[in-house]
Amino acid sequence: MGKFSGLIHNENIKIYSRARTWVMLLILAVMSALMPVLFYFSASDKSHLMGLWETFQMTVSVAFFLNTIFTVVVASDSIAGEFSWGTIKLLLIRPWSRSKILLSKYISMVLFSLLSTVVLIAFGLGSAYLFSSQTGDVMTSLTGWSPSAYSFMDLLFRYVELFLTATLAFMVSSVFRASGLAIGLSLFIIFAKNLIVIIFNPDRYEWAKYLLFTHMDLRVYLSSDTGPGGVTLGFSIAVLAAYYLLFLLISWIVFRKRDVAA
Amino acid sequence: MLTTELAEPVARLQGVTKKIGSKTLVSDLTLDIPAGQIFGFLGPNGAGKTTTIRMMVGLISISRGDILICGRSIKDHFEEAVSHVGAIVENPEMYKFLTGYQNLRQYARMVSGVTKQRIDEVIKLVGLDNRIHDKVKTYSLGMRQRLGVAQALLHRPKLLILDEPTNGLDPQGIRELRDYLRRLCQQEGTTVFVSSHLLSEMELMCDSVAIIQNGRLVDVRQLKNIGDTVVAAAETLFEVDQAETAMALIGRGIVKEGGLVLEVTREEIPALNELLVNGGVKVYGIRALSRSLEDQFLEMTGGEGIG
Ligand SMILES: Nc1ncnc2c1ncn2[C@@H]1O[C@H](COP(=O)(O)OP(=O)(O)OP(=O)(O)O)[C@@H](O)[C@H]1O
Ligand SMILES: [Mg+2]
Repeated sequence: MGKFSGLIHNENIKIYSRARTWVMLLILAVMSALMPVLFYFSASDKSHLMGLWETFQMTVSVAFFLNTIFTVVVASDSIAGEFSWGTIKLLLIRPWSRSKILLSKYISMVLFSLLSTVVLIAFGLGSAYLFSSQTGDVMTSLTGWSPSAYSFMDLLFRYVELFLTATLAFMVSSVFRASGLAIGLSLFIIFAKNLIVIIFNPDRYEWAKYLLFTHMDLRVYLSSDTGPGGVTLGFSIAVLAAYYLLFLLISWIVFRKRDVAA
Repeated sequence: MLTTELAEPVARLQGVTKKIGSKTLVSDLTLDIPAGQIFGFLGPNGAGKTTTIRMMVGLISISRGDILICGRSIKDHFEEAVSHVGAIVENPEMYKFLTGYQNLRQYARMVSGVTKQRIDEVIKLVGLDNRIHDKVKTYSLGMRQRLGVAQALLHRPKLLILDEPTNGLDPQGIRELRDYLRRLCQQEGTTVFVSSHLLSEMELMCDSVAIIQNGRLVDVRQLKNIGDTVVAAAETLFEVDQAETAMALIGRGIVKEGGLVLEVTREEIPALNELLVNGGVKVYGIRALSRSLEDQFLEMTGGEGIG
């Protein structure tokens, strides 16, 4: 029997030998580098320029959308792709349990999300450094965070959201074997979740506290001690963790039991 | 034959049943695949060949019964059991955006002990040397089929399962496949389980054949024996100008278009011919209307549509 790292290597090859992956990373890099340039040249005069961290944070707020979408694309294709190519039947007749094959796919998807996030940070921060005011950030520390620490907490919480969305896409892909559905559903959630939180306001409905959408954006805790519906950060994290485990559980159960007649 | 019967069967299907909803695709199939043979699995379209093969490699669950590969249950010891198996299930689909070689590397990484040398050896065996570094999307169906066989052979499986492997191969390719399956069987002792709905192909390739229809095992037989019986009891057509006269002279047979048909042994033919010629009947030809396995197969499975 081969080594488990070989499985992850295989999955990585499947991701990175496709032109699509490199196009996505390129777009992400260009977008991240371009935002600070746009801010720089659109400022009416140089005294209105934002500082490094403000510029970076503005960049992140735009580019992270792309980052999430691209990771969702990779997550959705990881299983559904094998089914639509028909390669699943050659993959599953190796001396590896389906659980381990699924795990290798999940890990390689997470590795991709880390790589794309690093690309975003590297290009975004690099460009922000070149195209921002040298006078420093005016970003007031209402919150007691330093601008750099605030930026990274912001990034971290956005990553949590991406991580959950991608895991959801992975699950849909495992259950329905259709990458289009997985991508569509995840995008819908990305864009509709704020609306859903407004409609099912946890201040009004007690049960809305247990909805995934209510807690996906943890950034509210950067400026406040209580989150939606007056819950704590710990509560939010517990709800997210519960959903995360549920998504994984469903992915695994379905994938392990499925009759493969592709 | 004696030796293969003594050795433990490589695969044992024990009362295997597959149900999807209320439909029974394969019904109570019990079959031993003896070691060191090329074993054919024959049946018309929709008979349940692919379904059975999917169960043998663990792609779909077994509703009832069990399948043992080298003594290990594919249900309970999947990894161990499947490690003895190399397979193509229906069309061998590959990663089109990778080269043939990169595809093989994928599968090599999933088992231990497949060296670069082994990969090259297998590529040569299936005759893909010239195109192996091209992307699979540029391959023809036959080339993908060859790559499929290469992939199945990489880890030197004890049991090679091929679902309609000649699909898409040219006559040259079919010939080559037959030859290297033979070689594999004789030199490496690999057991080959090969499905087809083409009987003529099975006759050329296999030592034994199991016939399946409507999900049920109809017959298992050794092919060489069938050949013998064909020679022994041949229906023979005497092409003559006056069939009635010929029948009167011989005293039996059936008058058919083109002459007289009767069952004779090889030894009887010269005497009968002499009898006819002396009786003034012109004999244009004598040929055996051998009931080939094809006829027997059609007789056995024919008359019923796909279902
Ligand atoms: N997922 C499924 N659900 C219901 N019926 C199915 C399913 N898959 C296959 N069948 C049916 O099972 C029967 C056996 O199919 P199978 O693919 O095993 O036939 P086969 O012997 O391989 O035929 P062929 O020579 O055409 O490849 C067919 O009648 C088919 O319609
Ligand atoms: Mg079939």
